[in-house]
Amino acid sequence: MGKPEVKGKIKKALDNQVLRGALGKFGDTYIEARAKAYEGYDFEALRSKVAERKAYAASHLEEMLDRFEKAAAERGAKVYRAAGAEDAKRYIVEVAARNGVKNIVKSKSMASEEIHLNQALAAAGCDVQETDLGEWIIQLAHQRPSHMVLPAIHMTKEQVAEVFTDNLQRPNDPEIAALVKTARLELRKKFLQADMGISGANMAIAETGTLVMLTNEGNARLTSTLPRVHVFLVGLEKLIPNFEDALYVLQTLPRSATAQQLTSYVTMITGPTPAYYPDGSVQDKEFHIVIMDNGRRQMYADDKFKKSFQCIRCASCLNVCPIYQLVGGHVYGHIYTGGIGAILTAFLHSEEDAKDVQSLCLQCGKCAEVCPGQLDIPEMILEIRNRIGDKKKLPFTQKFALDVVSNRRLFHSLLRVASKAQKPLSQGHGFIRHLPLFLSGLTEQKSLPEIADVPFRDLFKNVKQEVPSPKGKIAFYAGCLIDFVYPRIGEAVIKTLNAKGYEVTFPEGQSCCGAPASYMGDRENARKSAVLNLEALHAEAVDYVVTACPTCTHALKDRFAELVAGDPVWAPRAAELSRKSRDFSQLLSELGSDPPEPKGKPGKRKVTYHDSCHLKRKAGVFLEPRQHMQNIEGLELVEMKESDSCCGFGGSYSIKFPELSAPILERKLKNIEASGAEVVAVDCPGCLMQIAGGLDKKGSKIIVKHTAELITDEALTENRKENDLRQNKC
Amino acid sequence: MEDYYQSFRVKLEGVSGECYRVATAAEGIELATHVLQSKGVKSVALAGFFLSEAGGLASKLAQAGITVHTENLRAAAPEADAGITIGRWAIAETGTIVQTATDVDERLCSTLPPLHLVLLSTDALVPTLAEALKRIHSSPEIPGFVGFITGPSRTSDIERVLTIGVHGPEQFIAVFVEGEVE
Ligand code: SF4
Repeated sequence: MGKPEVKGKIKKALDNQVLRGALGKFGDTYIEARAKAYEGYDFEALRSKVAERKAYAASHLEEMLDRFEKAAAERGAKVYRAAGAEDAKRYIVEVAARNGVKNIVKSKSMASEEIHLNQALAAAGCDVQETDLGEWIIQLAHQRPSHMVLPAIHMTKEQVAEVFTDNLQRPNDPEIAALVKTARLELRKKFLQADMGISGANMAIAETGTLVMLTNEGNARLTSTLPRVHVFLVGLEKLIPNFEDALYVLQTLPRSATAQQLTSYVTMITGPTPAYYPDGSVQDKEFHIVIMDNGRRQMYADDKFKKSFQCIRCASCLNVCPIYQLVGGHVYGHIYTGGIGAILTAFLHSEEDAKDVQSLCLQCGKCAEVCPGQLDIPEMILEIRNRIGDKKKLPFTQKFALDVVSNRRLFHSLLRVASKAQKPLSQGHGFIRHLPLFLSGLTEQKSLPEIADVPFRDLFKNVKQEVPSPKGKIAFYAGCLIDFVYPRIGEAVIKTLNAKGYEVTFPEGQSCCGAPASYMGDRENARKSAVLNLEALHAEAVDYVVTACPTCTHALKDRFAELVAGDPVWAPRAAELSRKSRDFSQLLSELGSDPPEPKGKPGKRKVTYHDSCHLKRKAGVFLEPRQHMQNIEGLELVEMKESDSCCGFGGSYSIKFPELSAPILERKLKNIEASGAEVVAVDCPGCLMQIAGGLDKKGSKIIVKHTAELITDEALTENRKENDLRQNKC
Repeated sequence: MEDYYQSFRVKLEGVSGECYRVATAAEGIELATHVLQSKGVKSVALAGFFLSEAGGLASKLAQAGITVHTENLRAAAPEADAGITIGRWAIAETGTIVQTATDVDERLCSTLPPLHLVLLSTDALVPTLAEALKRIHSSPEIPGFVGFITGPSRTSDIERVLTIGVHGPEQFIAVFVEGEVE
């Protein structure tokens, strides 16, 4: 998958201490500052307005375009609809030529970068100056922006000073205020002599033909005031229906982008305004609006990517992304960076360009949580991954592993053999390395927990359930990790549900939920797993289907239905399963929150809770487990910092990109240690494996337990040795 | 009104802007002159008939020894120490003034000099951004250029360090007068 190249870029970024320092600092402060900026505002309500208005415009695109064009033309604007990059460039170069333009100033326009407009104008003999400070620095340094809002975030003041010194041929000190002053003076000259301005817009209002720009520096105001020719270049997705709809973007974009109440300037332009001409006369300027498609309609036509029109380019999806925070924008390779960048790149450039970038997504879902446009970025990325997988076969080892996983008999018998074989082979090398469960053939160095001696499916047969008059029946879906690595979690689940008066069944034919295949882009095997489990779980016969692994819950609840969509036999069964599936903690709350028997433990042990990405952001469950903790006598819940940040596991991700997974885990471990807790509670066996492995390696005394285990109390009496993993170096 | 003004002031000061309020237009002129003088302003670019002639601001500034440019502003504004314009609305929610500046001179005076002083009536205060949009929308037509200004020009593009004053004014002052300004 072109990995060597992306691996090289990752290494370069990780080795760049400057970059890591800058991005780390930013990521830390951003989250708090953003939250503060939204204080007193209902973010959920606001973003549903943004999404609804933008979606409306997108679904009435032709009408919006006609309205916009009519309104703008009535005010004297010349509107041009450009189908593609070439079209847009040709039109703008012609406007410049016709008006005898030599000097051009630009205020920020990502669309112009998308089509390499500067090069086209330079080739036509024009001097083009970016005027947004960050963009100007990037232009002088001959680099690409690494962030949509802060293009030069990867550079230090020393580097900026050097770039200035080289370009202006006089020494510049690495002092930020002085550098900014220099930029003002240099660009002021350019503004005053410019005969054409080029701008992007954050919104194009169909009702009134108005273009809206949000800036802080004031360059857009100068670009709209001084030159006698002004051209706007805007993507189709910038259209909004009515004038007052602008409110929602104005209320979210500054808060999400830079944690401001409002940018220093919001500039609304409707039609040409007067400008000074070289002869000293004042007349209306030559005013053009180029509305560009360039792949956007195609994106909208694609059901899975429609919502990309709701993006307001605030870049908060980058700011909260744990991977972006580590490697920055240049690893992404194109002008649109981060998760949304991968998606836009796939359509506005090519799927080939997006291939490596999309693989960086950890699927933690942080971005979807903060996105003011309500885009489900991780889902879109996964779709791209699967489409690439559909077209292109995965490398043999991966494909082989996934084929094995979706063949239950083969997979399970391999696991059983592994459990026997791992003992003599546990050191140095061995069978475990080729276990498809973790797709560990992909990597050389990874410690894995042992396969349990007796899998849960065998243990289950001997579990005694004493439920005199059951209230109902619950099927337990174990998932690979609980079945073969952590059967003790399964036992705890059964015990707890029995105590609630429910009988628990273990449908024998169940197998891997197909998540590894889904997350690696192998839809064919994911579908096989879905069908196998739909059949085996037979949701029609029980009251609930419970899992104790949020990734499995997500598969049972959402993924299966997608995979069998339209199938007359399987789709209704998937819907039934989806209705009945619950995550353990959630189900427990639903069944009534009466605390279990007081255990009468003396003293209080501090427990901290780690939110699994899929449980919090796919299922929306985060209060319930905390409630359970608080109901356990002898435990005191203390919150860690960033409790809902990813632990870095991400299924096969930690094996594919250990260099990225490791620092994310490290951060998690630091936050756990700082909380002062003795116990970490989790609801996901994957997180458990990752965090326990990390703590173990550090020699920490902190233990990690599944919520179900804590509830059944065994956890607190167990000693460390029986605990999790004896690490096997493979 | 009082609440609106207080909210406006707190918000504007929170983003490094300055805010004053006086009772009459004459006092407003007095105050503006005084503030500019204290900041060492030697030349001012003025746009708008009221400011230059009827209201007597120009003559007051001239008396205080400040050079006043009211014409040929394309050449004068880039050199002036300060620009003065009139604000149309002020938003309490965000500390924002709204200018309708289709007139090019008004734009030159508010974008080019390092200091921008806006005079406006306390009647111009509206509670929210939503209300301001409604007002703009209810004009017979949307003005060709509507500028929302919330404090001075700023950037965080180098190492994310906030720096005041890039392309636009590095000082922004709002002076409210009770009653009419124009
Ligand atoms: S996808 Fe959402 S979070 Fe990312 S830039 Fe677009 S609007 Fe902002």
